[in-house]
Amino acid sequence: MPEKMNLKQARKFLKEVEPFLISDRPQVVFDMSQVRHIDAAGVDVLLRCMREAMKHDGDLKLASLSPQAAVVLELTRAGRLFEIYETSTAAAKSFSCFLPNAIRHLYEQPLDSLLQMPAPEAHSDGSAGLAA
Amino acid sequence: MDVRAIVLIGGAAGDGPGVAENIAGIPLAYLDVLGVSVIERVQRRLQRFGVSCTTIISDSPCDGGPFAHAVPSLPSLPHVHAETEQFWQAAEETFLKYAEDGADLVLALRVGPYVEADYEALIQHHLDHRCAVTMAVDGEFQSLGLFVLSASARNDAAALFKNRMTRMRRDCAPFFVKGYCNRLRSSADLRKLALDGLLARNEIRPQGTELKPGVWVGAAARIHRKARVIAPAFIGAHAKVRASVLITRGTVLEHHAEVDCGTVVENSSLLPFARVGAGLDVMHSVVGFRRLAHLRQNVEVEISDEKFVGMVPLTAVSRLAGSTAALFAFLPMQIYRGLFASSQRNSAAKIPECPEDATGAALKASVLEVPATGAESSEFPSNLAVARRYGDE
Repeated sequence: MPEKMNLKQARKFLKEVEPFLISDRPQVVFDMSQVRHIDAAGVDVLLRCMREAMKHDGDLKLASLSPQAAVVLELTRAGRLFEIYETSTAAAKSFSCFLPNAIRHLYEQPLDSLLQMPAPEAHSDGSAGLAA
Repeated sequence: MDVRAIVLIGGAAGDGPGVAENIAGIPLAYLDVLGVSVIERVQRRLQRFGVSCTTIISDSPCDGGPFAHAVPSLPSLPHVHAETEQFWQAAEETFLKYAEDGADLVLALRVGPYVEADYEALIQHHLDHRCAVTMAVDGEFQSLGLFVLSASARNDAAALFKNRMTRMRRDCAPFFVKGYCNRLRSSADLRKLALDGLLARNEIRPQGTELKPGVWVGAAARIHRKARVIAPAFIGAHAKVRASVLITRGTVLEHHAEVDCGTVVENSSLLPFARVGAGLDVMHSVVGFRRLAHLRQNVEVEISDEKFVGMVPLTAVSRLAGSTAALFAFLPMQIYRGLFASSQRNSAAKIPECPEDATGAALKASVLEVPATGAESSEFPSNLAVARRYGDE
């Protein structure tokens, strides 16, 4: 995510991520480690992204919150609406933890072995992944 | 005995790196704690112990800058502003001036730490041990930035100020302070000082009227009748608490602070002129000068969005102009709503029509309380009878 999440930047960011959010079952992680300033417009965009993701049966998770972002999310009571993780990897992994056992092992394997395999069944549902 | 005092604000370099002792460039000593600034409390305490003359030496220019009006002025005291290089030199010059004027002892204290020392006992200790300089220490033998100097010991005083009050020329028996001490290094310490005052752990008492046990309110503070204030709490002079606000867990609102509708302020301090927007959660924080210091996350964040944290106009004229503008913006909107907007009043509830069957008829008879001739009916003449007869159904 950009360093400043003011009205202008937030609109630009929303345009960038919108294609991912309107796909079927989007599974999106926002890495907020770079965010230094976030205002009401920034929080609004986060909520809109989450609403859009949930509308399409997906979810939006936040990871690596900078202190500034964490303070603003707590201040606005928006933090409790999101699943927040220490790292982007942990957030991405969390999407697979409720999958059926039959396909969970596909996500738990190392990336190299996954790349050598044919397209996994888990992706056949059209879910999209993004770390912004 | 002529005892005088030099109060030093700043000069924290002697305490090592990472010691801020200020918020947004304003020394913590100048900020209000429960209605009165720390420096004023120190000065009042010195007066109470019979210190005849006090000079304040500060390394921060508090007569300028964007927040100048937020800082209290102490016109009764001589105030010396000295930049960092001349700070300790100014202290030494003031000491020499006091010595020439005939003072017997000079107290040098840095605020910095807020110390509730027994100055009488300290001076007695100094006289008993016949020291040139006596240092006050806490239980862990750490200096509290409080010294007593004999006016005749000019070389010792010069050495002390040259060493930024960290080292003395000659060793002497230190004086252990048994009273309350607060290092006042960060906003967390400022918050602790205020909370300790509310909980009567120190001699700081809130400046205001105790409306109900544990809730102090300053002069001209406005609290909306739908706001809830839970003790202990302090609402400073001219502060505004709007509708549906919750103030709880030792929250302190200093003078002219404002909390907008629906916000929860928990275990936090709002510094003078701080404004918190509507519908927010302010928890474990010190808010002021467009900054928010979160005490649990140990982070201080500058917030530029006025919807979250802002500043009340510092001058009365600006505040009046702002209120007038808000009124003129509000009135036309209300008139327009009154004339054109649809009414939100609910229509009167319709009485359900009575069913035709027998059960319905019985219900109708009970609801309408048709006077019955039997003893049972006379036993339950009011609506209570209805509830008891058909409550289970």
